[in-house]
Amino acid sequence: MNVFAGVGGGAAARDAAPAGEARALLELTPHKIAVCHLVQVFAPPAQVGGGAGLPFPFDSVGHHNRLGLFLFTLTRSCEDFLEPPLEELLRQLKAVDDLANGWLCEQLTNTLSTLNSPDDLFNFFDKLRGVLTAPEGASVEDVFLDPNSQLGVFLRCCILAFNSMTFEGVCHLLANLVVYCSSADASYDLAEDEDFNSEMSNLMDADIGARAGTFDKYNQGYAAESHIGESSSALTHAPMSLHDFDEANILKADDNPTCLRSRWQLEAYLNQQADILEKDPSSVPLNSFNATMTQLQTLAPELHRVQFLQYLNALCHDDYVASLDNLHRYFDYSAGMQGLFSRSVSPSQDIIVGKYESALLCLGNLHCYFGHPKKALEAFVEAVRVSQMNNDDSCLAYILGAISNLLSKIGMSNTVEIIGSPYSLGTNIGLGTPLSIQQQLLVLLKRSLKRADILKLPSLLSFDHLSLAKFDLKHVQRPLVSFGPNASTKLRTCPADVCKNLRLSSRVLTDFGTDVLSTSNDNGSFSTSWLRNLSAASNSWCSSSTKSRKLHKNDFDNFHYHAQPSPVPAPVLQLAGSTYLLRATAWEHYGSAPMVRMNALVYATCFADAASSSDLSLAYVKLIQQLAVFKGYSAAFCALKLAEKKFPSSTSSHIQLLRMQLLHERALHRGHLKVAQQICDEFGVMSSSVCGVDIELKTEASLRHARTLLAAKQFSQAATVANSLFSTCYKYNMQVENASVLLLLAEIYKKSDNAVLGLPYALASQSFCKSFNLDLLEASATLTLAELWLALGSSHAKRALSLVYQSLPMILGHAGLELRARAHIVLAKCHLFDPKFSVSEDSSAVLDPLNQATEDLQVLEYHEMVAEAYYLKAMAYNHLWKLDEREEAAASFKEHITALENPLKEEDSLVY
Amino acid sequence: MASFKETHRAELRAAARQLGERCLYSAAKWAAELLVGVEKDATPAPSAAMDSPSSSSAASGGRLLHLHRSGGSSFRHRPRPGGGSSSEARTPIGGVSYVSTPIPDDDAFDSGGDKYLLAKTYFDCREYRRAAHVLQNQVGRKAVFLRRYALYMAGEKRKEEEMIELEGSLGKSNAVNQELVELEKELSTHRRTGSIDSFGLYLYGIILRDKGCEDLARAILVESVNSYPWNWSAWSELQSLCTGSDILNNLNLKNHWMKDFFLASAYLELKMHEEALKIYERLMGVFCCSGYIQAQIATVQYNMRDLDEAEMIFEELLRSDPFRVDSMDIYSNLLYAKESLTALSFLAHRVFLTDKYRPESCCIIANYYSLKGQHEKSVLYFQRALKLNRKYLSAWTLMGHEFVELKNTPAAIDAYRRAVDINPRDYRAWYGLGQIYEMMEMPFYALYYFRKSSHLQPNDARLWIAMAQCYESEPLQMIEEAIKCYERAANSNDTEGIALHQLAKLHGMLGKSEEAAFYYKKDLERMEVEERQGKSFVEALLFLAKHCRSIGRFEEAEHYCTRLLDYTGPEKETAKNILQGLKRAQAGFPSMDIDHFAL
Repeated sequence: MNVFAGVGGGAAARDAAPAGEARALLELTPHKIAVCHLVQVFAPPAQVGGGAGLPFPFDSVGHHNRLGLFLFTLTRSCEDFLEPPLEELLRQLKAVDDLANGWLCEQLTNTLSTLNSPDDLFNFFDKLRGVLTAPEGASVEDVFLDPNSQLGVFLRCCILAFNSMTFEGVCHLLANLVVYCSSADASYDLAEDEDFNSEMSNLMDADIGARAGTFDKYNQGYAAESHIGESSSALTHAPMSLHDFDEANILKADDNPTCLRSRWQLEAYLNQQADILEKDPSSVPLNSFNATMTQLQTLAPELHRVQFLQYLNALCHDDYVASLDNLHRYFDYSAGMQGLFSRSVSPSQDIIVGKYESALLCLGNLHCYFGHPKKALEAFVEAVRVSQMNNDDSCLAYILGAISNLLSKIGMSNTVEIIGSPYSLGTNIGLGTPLSIQQQLLVLLKRSLKRADILKLPSLLSFDHLSLAKFDLKHVQRPLVSFGPNASTKLRTCPADVCKNLRLSSRVLTDFGTDVLSTSNDNGSFSTSWLRNLSAASNSWCSSSTKSRKLHKNDFDNFHYHAQPSPVPAPVLQLAGSTYLLRATAWEHYGSAPMVRMNALVYATCFADAASSSDLSLAYVKLIQQLAVFKGYSAAFCALKLAEKKFPSSTSSHIQLLRMQLLHERALHRGHLKVAQQICDEFGVMSSSVCGVDIELKTEASLRHARTLLAAKQFSQAATVANSLFSTCYKYNMQVENASVLLLLAEIYKKSDNAVLGLPYALASQSFCKSFNLDLLEASATLTLAELWLALGSSHAKRALSLVYQSLPMILGHAGLELRARAHIVLAKCHLFDPKFSVSEDSSAVLDPLNQATEDLQVLEYHEMVAEAYYLKAMAYNHLWKLDEREEAAASFKEHITALENPLKEEDSLVY
Repeated sequence: MASFKETHRAELRAAARQLGERCLYSAAKWAAELLVGVEKDATPAPSAAMDSPSSSSAASGGRLLHLHRSGGSSFRHRPRPGGGSSSEARTPIGGVSYVSTPIPDDDAFDSGGDKYLLAKTYFDCREYRRAAHVLQNQVGRKAVFLRRYALYMAGEKRKEEEMIELEGSLGKSNAVNQELVELEKELSTHRRTGSIDSFGLYLYGIILRDKGCEDLARAILVESVNSYPWNWSAWSELQSLCTGSDILNNLNLKNHWMKDFFLASAYLELKMHEEALKIYERLMGVFCCSGYIQAQIATVQYNMRDLDEAEMIFEELLRSDPFRVDSMDIYSNLLYAKESLTALSFLAHRVFLTDKYRPESCCIIANYYSLKGQHEKSVLYFQRALKLNRKYLSAWTLMGHEFVELKNTPAAIDAYRRAVDINPRDYRAWYGLGQIYEMMEMPFYALYYFRKSSHLQPNDARLWIAMAQCYESEPLQMIEEAIKCYERAANSNDTEGIALHQLAKLHGMLGKSEEAAFYYKKDLERMEVEERQGKSFVEALLFLAKHCRSIGRFEEAEHYCTRLLDYTGPEKETAKNILQGLKRAQAGFPSMDIDHFAL
């Protein structure tokens, strides 16, 4: 029986192959010699006839296997690029070897210290060879190390490296060995562990704190969030501690021989760092990370991927010049020889041949990230040309995806200048006729989709489906060519298409996923976290002796669930997750609150591990927005506080925006107009000044500005702002936004007693809503329409009432507090205005909605509308001759009116 | 005047001897060469000056004050870019008053002088550790310096060996000079107690530089050259630490005549050619026979594209010093640029016989093969040069050119990139990178590199033209930007006249005929001056003729048309037609074309 036969063996063999052009597969270091020695202990050279029992120091199979697992993780872990000092190894070994009473440690140090001359080393490796060869006459039952297992391959590499070593190399190895051993001698005592302990416990404290925090949130009425809180807080903390380790290593580097890990481990380390950068850039300090990378680069100048990491780092920290320089440097050096995405399993999917076109792809993405749409487009167009020249289809597919991403991100004006040269784009994608930008986008997306399908690029395919869904959500698809009367044009968006694309997006992942999943997905993270967990466990064991919690025999007992390797690769998870996020957004548009909540919750619960912090914060934002709309501000602000703890607002723009949105809404409701205006100004500052960039933010800023002006009763100014906003939206083809702008205009005219003028706007808004399936907004528009009719005179009350009834199902089912209250008030008004209606006959028809409305509005602190409701209530009671209730309602009315007109403590509005 | 020179001579003589005693070979060589380069006096120099150090009157007081001791400057194997090589110098004449620095008294015979002698012989035989060992517990100043220097050299030697031994699959490991820490500790204590001399300071400076403490290293080196200005190695180390003119200007240097050499060389490195040339020409007044100054002047001339002048100087230099290798790579570049194959082959042969294992020699041979069109062999020799000195900047760049010729783009990009990483101010390599990407039809990507290179060399028309051509290229079509670049090129001495022509053409394309006419006129003037005629000449004439007609300047139009008649081709017919039309217009409706003034 072979020990660890096939465990990762295949993967190692495959990984080793590309490194074969180098002189040796790995470089021999003292650490590797130590591991070799341990392997020898683990699987001693088989003796004839000695097969049955376990080797000497082991008393159980579990014990034996633990050492095997430990050795396996040692050869795979990638938490750092330098090899750990002997001291560290001994500590870990102690944790593993709790039964043999440190026999292993002692033996290891003894063996290492006896290696004094080149000849000792020679004999050592000679003996090592015996581990791999089965002695003559060995039976099948004998325990020996499979030469093709992970450890076997490792051992063979070491032996090969030693055999091909020059005498000078052996001398260096010896010198390093001396330093390696002495570093442990000097400091091998428990006092050294102190800081490590405290650090680990800090980490655990933080973890517990975060868990407690999420519990609070749970109490606020959000179910099932505790789980994500737990796992993702661990995620956000892990990189920090990782960095502390790095810095500690830099400091310690002087008294240790600086030995790099094997190439495989280095690359895994870099991949891991890249993941961290993508997931949560704020956790990686710019300069110290750069210092780490520079150190790695001085140690391995030919490992050019370090430069790519530096590029990513600069990008994440918004350092334009540095990221540009590093990008160019990386591609100049590696010339694409070190494939960009070689982490993925099947090499056929990589951009390996890509070389310079992938450089352009990255350059385009860089410009896109920094908000230079024109430059980005130039880069992409060039990338398209180059990849066509080099027949690089997969890169082309990616570029098309990137272009469509760019086009959907930047403001798409019909005026040509914004986009630069659509002429060249048009010719490049082979379309003779000039197309609008939307049409171009659609064509590009479809092309990219087709290509991705042919080339079997599942993640791109999924991404394209997502983009298509996004497109369908906001755009009416028109046939590119329509001739004659037969071409029927249905000017509506098609939610079914969106839904279909969203489903397909995750479906294609599973379709192609089977062969991706079947191959091993070991990127070293499992080994890394196993080792880290080991030290944590051993420390807790050392320090908390009072708990008398013995180390369990099976390490998986105290091994956190999240550290286990996920069977699904993180990028796939990420894509799958973003369908849920997009679903939530889609339902936001279509107006179904429960669906928004559900999808956001699914995302936050199931995909938090793989999600980047910005995406995750977006899910939180959606949840908190729902909370604000349905439960009022106090609840929302409580949740916001928790979210801010999780995502520091300085780094998460989503959370920052949410905070301002909530504050603005509340200030408007409370009538604190100065505060509202102040927040509006802040909004304006946040967006970039470049035309066409941050267009959504800009839209929102001026929308809020108009609303503030409206609240301040500066109608003409509000109308001016809204009008200019409308023309901007029209220019950039933002039809969905147009609907709400039109509604706002109607609202402005309604408030300024120009109901006749307001009517066309409300109607227009309604028809926009219809064609984009914005059901909730449509209900709101219908309500406004009813109000406008009502304002035209009591003779229209009947018509208004029917409109209100029309919108009620939607509003009662999905609308938030404010809209619901408004509907109730309008309902009551309709009744009261109706000359044929008498309150005394059917008092509940008026009073019930009004009671409901006052209740809802008080939660929102919406003084103006509460006052209105109370006023109506007082009127109703007056009709009914219920004087006491009338007085009571009137008093409440007065209270709210004074609160509105003499806002007290405006500065309170900025506090939550 | 004569005494002036005599002072210099005496100083240099003493310096060469003192530097030699400290085994600072290259500095000693430099001083000695300069000594010979001093203009011959009518009267022969009295030989007595040999031993007596400084005869300047200011010397007596200064010595006590500054604690001047003899020290040593060090010699380094690696030639530095920018020429820390041999040469000679002269005191400038032009009315500059220099601070005279006393030549320190050399300790005539330290105790243990015999051991010193033994150590020096060991050192001369490159047995550094042995030398250091012999000098243990010696207290003489020379001995102390030599021991440290020998240790440093031993460490350096070991480091270079290790660099080869430790070369792994991921590139070189970080081999360091093992002696640095120890030496730094020792030297910093000495400096604190004030018992360090200027040679010790020099050693301390290079150790600090090796450790990466550049600011402190600069300060220490300044201290060293201020107290002992004749150590050229210290100056050139200092220069390699001055990467920008702001750093250079902030150095607190005593105004010794050696400072001029330093400044000139630093200016040359920082591409401030005019300033460098001025100083060298002044120095030439005193050190008129100095090969070093001649070579430097030639280098400046070459960098300023004054090839003929530079070639003359180099030829002269080779006549007087036939076995010279220093700076000859620049001469070979020059010959390459002039495509004089015979001279280049002659030079290559000569340096090959002199010393074939010098990076310069390999570079010259590579240049020769390149000119012959044998690019594979050329690459081979460049690679050899780079093996000898990995930081040989121009070899990387030139090898990049060769790879371009071989159509091995990735290798070329790699070579250029390495050059750029060694010295980010090397605009040629940036330009080369841009060119490659442009060749690969990636003009947008190439722009980044052209921008870099024109940023470093803003007055070079070629770079601006390259950038403009990128903007103008088929895929980008950014005419406005291209025009801006061409304007820069036209303003910075565009010898080939591409810019003016292109400017005229682009303006014409954009329909700005006024501007187009302006540039066509300028282009025409330029071509007339240079007596060049060709297609663009005809084109300019034709455009101007048409333009003048359209705005109603008939006389001018007639003038251009008449000139066009001298050429054959379709333009001649057009000109004839225009002329006829003009005549008709002038005769019949003279006021017709007035409307066109609106254009």
